[in-house]
Amino acid sequence: MAVDPVTIVAAGVVTPIGADLDAFWSGLVEGRDGISTIERFRVDDLRVGRAGEIKEIPQAPGGKRPACRATQLLLAAARDLLGRSALDAEPARIGVVVGTALGGVEQLEQALDDKDGRARAVAGALYDSPGHALARRLGARGPELTVSTACASGATALGIGAEWLRTDRADVVIAGGFDGLCRFVMRGFDALRSLTRERVRPFDRRRAGLLLGEGAALVLMARDRDVSGPRLGRLLGHASTSDAAHIAAPHPDGRGLTSAIHGALAQAGVGPRDVDFVSAHGTGTTLNDRIETAAIKEALGARAREIPLNSIKGGLGHTMGAAATLEAIMCLLASRDGIVPPTLGYEEADPACDLDYVPLTARRARPRVSLSTSLGFGGCNAALVLEGKA
Amino acid sequence: MPGVDLEAVGVVTGWGERLDALPDDATAASAGRSTLTIERPPLGGERFRRATRECLLGVAAVQALLAKSGREAREIAGGATALVYATAAAYGSSNRAFVEAAPTAGTLHFPYTATSAVPAEVAIEFQLTGPYVIFVGGATATIEALAHAGQLVARGECERALVLAVETFQECEDLHARTRWLLDRPLVEAAACALLGPGTGRLRVSDAAESSALARHARRRAGETLACEPLIALALGLETGDDRLNVTGEWRGRRLGLEWALPHPASSTMGAQV
Repeated sequence: MAVDPVTIVAAGVVTPIGADLDAFWSGLVEGRDGISTIERFRVDDLRVGRAGEIKEIPQAPGGKRPACRATQLLLAAARDLLGRSALDAEPARIGVVVGTALGGVEQLEQALDDKDGRARAVAGALYDSPGHALARRLGARGPELTVSTACASGATALGIGAEWLRTDRADVVIAGGFDGLCRFVMRGFDALRSLTRERVRPFDRRRAGLLLGEGAALVLMARDRDVSGPRLGRLLGHASTSDAAHIAAPHPDGRGLTSAIHGALAQAGVGPRDVDFVSAHGTGTTLNDRIETAAIKEALGARAREIPLNSIKGGLGHTMGAAATLEAIMCLLASRDGIVPPTLGYEEADPACDLDYVPLTARRARPRVSLSTSLGFGGCNAALVLEGKA
Repeated sequence: MPGVDLEAVGVVTGWGERLDALPDDATAASAGRSTLTIERPPLGGERFRRATRECLLGVAAVQALLAKSGREAREIAGGATALVYATAAAYGSSNRAFVEAAPTAGTLHFPYTATSAVPAEVAIEFQLTGPYVIFVGGATATIEALAHAGQLVARGECERALVLAVETFQECEDLHARTRWLLDRPLVEAAACALLGPGTGRLRVSDAAESSALARHARRRAGETLACEPLIALALGLETGDDRLNVTGEWRGRRLGLEWALPHPASSTMGAQV
């Protein structure tokens, strides 16, 4: 069943390639590399110690800095967003929904180190603590929720936010995703040998793994009929689905992702021929990129070979809970400015990945309807269909 | 838009495997114990060798629902069933185990630190390949889960939706002891699920000024079960045969209410399904 579109009024971000939306966008278009050696915590015992680390998170002037890094990231993205658009609604009608893979897990490490107390660190370790802190800081008293569909969380959160607007649970919704780098997640991916010692090369024949990143991305959403001023675009459809296949690997045929794409297109009321551009999850692992390519071809048919597709993880790293929201924002900015950012690191074609990946340099194109795909641990898949101002 | 009916509820708690194992007064029955735990369910086989206790509790709750409602697992398998999962803290034990484990432990343990590990094991076990969402939070997250599941059913994006909640406390008991301002006592481990399907029932979610009688009843009998509480309340409500279930949930100073007008007195068809 097609649903009413929801307007995306504005966006705010903090990322390894730029500390606000403008810097993020220019970094994507110019092909800026945000990968560096991690400085904030110990990595000398890991195989790989590089990631998209944000060296300095913008702070509010005179404001008290939260102890939790994930919360710092969320609040920085919120300041960027609110610098671009006001929150024009009663507090009880403002909803907040954010997605995360890790929440405030770094606070758990600190709480376990400090056996004597730090109740705040224990509470901060709950995955919904950063989202709750954001809602409090915004003074939002409408619906509040944290979504955790692993690395697809940032897409699912936008879908839930849109549902709140359609069902009149809120008049405006701040929605998005976040995650901070910490030893917990670096150790985990390092042990899984998912991290590459080389550069990230999404869809390239020589791709050897992913690198992590950190960041936060938020959008301000409202019902179409309630928005009269400037807007970035619209969210037309969303679907999140299950693989039911493996705890950490995607289904070998990408059946969950294919199903998510079909679901999002159906909600949007559009078909494959309407899709002008695909923002892929594109982590740079052998398995993900091959399966994702197959799923996109299965879902879009012949159209998949006619349109550009990119992955922005080559320069950002995989920002986990933030990734899907950053990619959705990228789709809307591509429509606005008529330019599609490149897939950094893509140099040699892989027969198993045979689509147009916009290698290395940005391309002039003005997609109207974009599809954004995401996958995550636990068989999570999500797809968004977005309409920009083309 | 079509309505949504509550078809069945399955509940497993630290008090026992059936709803009638709940005491009249959890505080008195706990006899000073701060946490009531559930043993690792005896689910055998290679597939469950690595699975954590909380994953198995999720599977056990769905098995309880199927057994009590007389359904076969194959009846819910496939893309027509949505899975919506909620938890406040069930990932705590796996997160802690990973932090405290030897540096070489990651390959086996790290994927199970994800919040999605519990619903993933449930989805794999019952082959649930439909819509799939995971919410984090206490009782309010479960009410949001019920609302979202209702929307999925009403929009026809699935034929039925399974709302699942799991909470475990044992492995992080010392940490929870530092957050008495956030959690009541006794902490009672639980896993609960509800099956929603299309019908004529009407489900409405809104802010609630005060706790509903049903929510207070569930809290008094079960203790602190966080995200499981609204599902336990629904199970208790079905027993009464009331055709209007009013469940509230509180978390972090917020209170949400769910009012569910069922198409017929619930007890006639569903009272024994818990």
